[in-house]
Amino acid sequence: MVDALAIIYLTLGTAFLLGLLRDEWRILAYGITLLSLAMVSGIASTWVWHLADNPAESVEIMTAGASPPFAINLRMGLAEAAALMLATLTGLASTIFLKDTLLRLGRRAMAVLLVFIMAICGIILTRDIFNLFVFFELVVIATAGLVLLSHNERSLGAGFKYLMASQVVSILLLVGIIFNYHVSGSLNIDDMAGMSDMLIQTTPLAFFLLFIALIVELKPFPANGWALDIYESAHPAFSAILSAAAGTASLFAVDKVLAIGGDSWLPVATGIGVLSFIGANLFALAQTSDRRLLGYSSVAQIGLILAIIGQRDILGDSYWLIAGGVLLAHAVGKAGLFWLSGLIAERELTAWTALRDRPLLLFAFISFIALLIGLPPFPGFYAKWELIHLLAGADRIALIVLILFGALLETAYLFRWFGLILKHDEVAEKAPCPIQKVVVIYSAVVAAWSLAYLWGELSVFGNLMHAIPLLFALLFLPLEGLPARIKNVLAIGGLVTWFILQYPLYDPLQLIFGAIILPGGALILLASFHNQGRRIGFYPAALWMFAGLSMLIVAEDSFTFFAAWESLTIGSYFLILRGKHSQPHAQSYILFSLGGAFLMLLGFALASAGNPLFPLESLTTVAEDVAPWVFILLALGMMTKTAAIGVHIWLPGAHAEAETDVSPLLSGILLKAGLFGLFILLIYMGRQQLYGIDLTHVLLWVGAISALLGNLMAIYQEDAKRLLAYSSIAQMGYALFGLALMNHLGWLMALMFVVNHYIYKSMLFLSVGGVAKRTGTKEMYRMGGLITLMPLSFIAVLIGIIAVSGVPPLSGFGGRWIFYNAIMSAEYRLPMVIIFLAGPIAFLYLFRLIHTIFLGQLKDEHRKLKEAPFWIILPQMIYVACLMVFALAPGLALRHVDAYIDNFFPRNGLNWEGLTITSTYGYWSPVSIMIVVGVIFATLFAWLVFVNRRAQKVKQFNIVFAAERPYRPETTHFAWNFFAPYRKALGFMTQPLVTRFWATVAESLHTSAELFRRLYTGDGQTYAIQLLGFVVAVYLLSSGVFYGV
Amino acid sequence: MGFEWIKIPYSLLTLFIVVNYGLLLNALIAKIAARVGRRHGIPIWQNYVDMIKNYGLRTSITHGVMFYMGPVFRLSGGVGLLLFVPTIYGSVMFSNLSFAGDLILALYFVFFGTLGMALGAGESGHPYAAIGVSRGLAQVTAAELPFALAVFAVALQYETLSVTEIVAAQQGSYLNWTLFTNPFAVAAAMLSFLGSMMRPPFDVVLAPQEIPIGPPTEYHSSYLALMQTNRAIFPIAKMVVYMNLFFGGAVSWPIFFVKIFLIYMVSVLVGVVFPRFHVEHSVRWFLIWAVPLGVIAVAIV
Amino acid sequence: MEHIALATGFLLILIGLYGALTQRDILRMIVAFTIANTGVNLVLVAVGYIRGRSAPIINDNLPAAEATARMIDPLPQALVLTAIVIGVGITALMLAYAYKLYILRGSLDISKIKELKW
Repeated sequence: MVDALAIIYLTLGTAFLLGLLRDEWRILAYGITLLSLAMVSGIASTWVWHLADNPAESVEIMTAGASPPFAINLRMGLAEAAALMLATLTGLASTIFLKDTLLRLGRRAMAVLLVFIMAICGIILTRDIFNLFVFFELVVIATAGLVLLSHNERSLGAGFKYLMASQVVSILLLVGIIFNYHVSGSLNIDDMAGMSDMLIQTTPLAFFLLFIALIVELKPFPANGWALDIYESAHPAFSAILSAAAGTASLFAVDKVLAIGGDSWLPVATGIGVLSFIGANLFALAQTSDRRLLGYSSVAQIGLILAIIGQRDILGDSYWLIAGGVLLAHAVGKAGLFWLSGLIAERELTAWTALRDRPLLLFAFISFIALLIGLPPFPGFYAKWELIHLLAGADRIALIVLILFGALLETAYLFRWFGLILKHDEVAEKAPCPIQKVVVIYSAVVAAWSLAYLWGELSVFGNLMHAIPLLFALLFLPLEGLPARIKNVLAIGGLVTWFILQYPLYDPLQLIFGAIILPGGALILLASFHNQGRRIGFYPAALWMFAGLSMLIVAEDSFTFFAAWESLTIGSYFLILRGKHSQPHAQSYILFSLGGAFLMLLGFALASAGNPLFPLESLTTVAEDVAPWVFILLALGMMTKTAAIGVHIWLPGAHAEAETDVSPLLSGILLKAGLFGLFILLIYMGRQQLYGIDLTHVLLWVGAISALLGNLMAIYQEDAKRLLAYSSIAQMGYALFGLALMNHLGWLMALMFVVNHYIYKSMLFLSVGGVAKRTGTKEMYRMGGLITLMPLSFIAVLIGIIAVSGVPPLSGFGGRWIFYNAIMSAEYRLPMVIIFLAGPIAFLYLFRLIHTIFLGQLKDEHRKLKEAPFWIILPQMIYVACLMVFALAPGLALRHVDAYIDNFFPRNGLNWEGLTITSTYGYWSPVSIMIVVGVIFATLFAWLVFVNRRAQKVKQFNIVFAAERPYRPETTHFAWNFFAPYRKALGFMTQPLVTRFWATVAESLHTSAELFRRLYTGDGQTYAIQLLGFVVAVYLLSSGVFYGV
Repeated sequence: MGFEWIKIPYSLLTLFIVVNYGLLLNALIAKIAARVGRRHGIPIWQNYVDMIKNYGLRTSITHGVMFYMGPVFRLSGGVGLLLFVPTIYGSVMFSNLSFAGDLILALYFVFFGTLGMALGAGESGHPYAAIGVSRGLAQVTAAELPFALAVFAVALQYETLSVTEIVAAQQGSYLNWTLFTNPFAVAAAMLSFLGSMMRPPFDVVLAPQEIPIGPPTEYHSSYLALMQTNRAIFPIAKMVVYMNLFFGGAVSWPIFFVKIFLIYMVSVLVGVVFPRFHVEHSVRWFLIWAVPLGVIAVAIV
Repeated sequence: MEHIALATGFLLILIGLYGALTQRDILRMIVAFTIANTGVNLVLVAVGYIRGRSAPIINDNLPAAEATARMIDPLPQALVLTAIVIGVGITALMLAYAYKLYILRGSLDISKIKELKW
């Protein structure tokens, strides 16, 4: 192995060598710089390989022929090697990125850059505390030197503020070092750690100074105004090193010093870390400048890692995997984003719209933010999972809540940024993209995905990158260049094949959901044949969602379940975002979904008492004192997906603004994920009591109120797709209600709703989407009389609304019949009242839908419309056939499920013998009903045709028609505000209270961020005072720690 | 399938009796209402005359397929509702087609005709039709609620959804009627009944006195005749359900005629006394006065 | 004796910090930081001083064999040397900043450098 010291002397030597070159030989100087950085990267990499295979062979490097405390020593272990590799590779990549700038600035800048990298490596390697100080000062000098050399007026001020802060820090550090030395007689960290107790007891203040100085080097919130200015004004490639490499090094330093402080100082580190994580993320919400935002995000991420370091007493063997996962994810993601910002001309977030037409760079951006947030399959995901579980195992629930809250804030601004890129109205000018910069960014993407793979391999949960469905979705990335139709064939083929392969493994419950997800999804995708062109971004997102869904239903342990849940959330987010005006809705969708997912994560962590490998069936044996809380958390998480009332506000916009073939995917299929989760939850956990309240009873109320309010809100919608979306809230409320009944028929009804809702809601969304495509509007009152122009769409909607409303003889009636039988044996009666009220209200909006679009007066501008496109009609007709079959023979699907539910509720099943289905209370014969109704109808129809055979078709305006046309066209349309009296009577029930509540939450977060970030006045002295104030505050708050109270 | 074909002529017989009774009853009620207002009123056979005239009219236009089929839906709804419920308790002859489904089928089949009618009226393109539909749908959702609660209470009380069994449980003495065993449910249902009979104070849907408004606006000749036939059948079919659920059913046709007449008179008596409600008023009225009764009924069963 | 040195050192640090945080002129701030640095160095040396021993220079008066018993701890002095060197470097850098800022802005008032904030 090459001597690890070579990393130090190669860089330092090259820096001196550059001083000897002539100033004109810039290309040569640049070449030498690159070469030396490449060599040290190579050395670091070989060390990583070597130590990964032989972790025991970490090396102590002695200097000056003596051992500590008489000489400085350094240590090279696996963690150090990985950090060195990260630092040197970041340095190399940034140097490549900086090519033009460095060639312009000349050899001095290159030398300073090399010293910078060397100092970072030194901090990582050294075990000597004074040596640490020297390297830190070198980082300061190099940073300030580079800023000085850059001749940028804005950054000069920032550099000076930075120097001021560094002076204060170095005073604290030096005083701390000398007193520690005075007590321990050694400068060696390991020696000092050996005397930890004595040090802390005799001079706690000395250790505090040392500790706090290194903490301040991490730029903790709120003592970090100077650092943010540097992030904002320095060259992005430099900020990349500062955030990724220097941040890593400082964390290493804190980690080392904490060995001296012992466990009693860990809570202080955690406190500072969490404060940074939440505070910086909160302030980032209000940022409009990209690099300052990235600066805040860096501070936050480093705060998170500091908090993790503070928890190392309970993390045990997983410490390095967790801290390393978050750290590497932060480093690669943040460096990648900083580099990416080098390709953006302006500093506003909106300027990033320049990426919109560059799918590869956009993919890089997505990868980086996914890396930062810790979405599957990236390392942060595994780390987050394990961290939360270990914390839960140690009962540190408050910390979990704080961390998850901070993570949600981070999600908010990162995804809002992404939404802006795709959906902001104006597209910014593109800046030039030199090849070397693009290469650097792509190599970061490669690193990101390699890390994802690596962490999958390292984790004990199984590698997500080995999951075939996810791989299938990834396969579509390289295929993006193909025409959409070819990809569609592939996607449909994939879904169907996977279903055929998995079919034998499903139990009846999984089969129902599997059939809806896979062949059901393929059926909806038939409508996607309508799309021309390449449709970039649609297929990877859609298949990522399908992958998540298909993994969800077969998940056996909580990790797989959660990973699948997050995957389907992300996939669907990208799908929703594709709609024209869907940015705010996609944003609220991802926030609610991830918020729900975090609750679920906490729930699983509590349930398993900290065991990250937790089979779902163990939910049955959760300890009694936590079980109700687990139930609440998991149920809340799942109800964000079914859009139960209270967490429903994302749904209408998301479903309504999505593309024509995406709405049915979301409504028909995605909503079922939440129901499946609730099924699993209730199967394993059953009834839970909290303070004597039966929680399924609460669910019953939630379901009933969702059904009522969903329906009520649906009747006031003018937008056809919004109407359908609100109706979905209500329908999911019914299904939730059925589940919460906790009896045989209730569950059967819920499953019947699953199937029915999939069929009719997919069909209706497609019909309405097809109509909207032709008419160019979703406002119902702008349409009318389309029945003769779009007869097939009309038939689909007609059949759909009959089925939704539950009017016999179609399949919706079966659902109602089972519902009445189910409530006959239910224990609670009052929620039924709400459900009864909700039922008939469905007629109002369903009638409005069909009436306003297809009946009434045809509009002038629509006279030449054609039927909706073939590919959109085709699946609708298949659905009509399905509904008919399902109406006649519901037993085909349901009797197996009925038998399956016997496992949980053996009583009150249905009897499927013969054509009549009987329950304990009543009976129902679908075929007879169909025949009787058919015969009566046909007879009367024949009679009417007989007596009325000479009827003449008349023109549209041949009616008794009066009144004039007021100015606003919608006011002449009676179907505008169709149910006005209803609003007068019951409008108070649909006041947007929930929407207002969530808007207030978001608003107050943003306002407080906007208000408090003024703390960073821009004045260097204020910053220095804040720094000292922070030190004093930490001293006072943690004095309990070092006086042993 | 063991279907007995003899059920078809039996059912047709029921239908025939009910149509005639309904036509006469409607005229009688109109006459009673006129007398209350010190008018002379129509002759008792007036409905037959109207119907024959309408079936015979030769002017006939159509606005499209849905328009054409609207009345067919409407009448199918009425006939179906009648035939899905046994008319005379204990009579095989007049148990009609109730083998196809139970009480829930009857409840939901009510909407079959309403929906089809509304769609047909919608295609006529006449604004008055749409106004009528909007008002009707809005009102019926609130009016149906107490009834649904009452039905649920009754089903819970007798632990069955089968109409025949519910009637069977009320036999023996009039004290066994639901009217006396579960008065709250009956009270709620009867208030709901007022709302569904299209009489004051809940007749703003058709607004029969001022202008020809409501779903039938554009309907004429044989369409109208079909709907008139339905007007004879549908209220009776609906009252048969009430009779069976709350008033002990009927064991013979004379008892049937009397009970139906008395039930009908409830809405007439209220109707001649009270003025008309706005839709929003009636929605609130049902929720404030009728629904709590239904809730009590469900809660105390 | 060493307590006086120690107290003086801390006093200098406080004076320096006070100056650096209150003076608006960049040059005065740099001077203040230098004072603070001097104070730190004084503290370092004072901590290493042991009463009654000689300087850690091995010569005829202090043979190597007796050195550990008779001389004061040499390490703080070595640290001070390093610290002074680093301090000089940073002071030089700050002066370079002051020069450039003056060239660009024509002013040395720290409170006017505020365009980056929030």
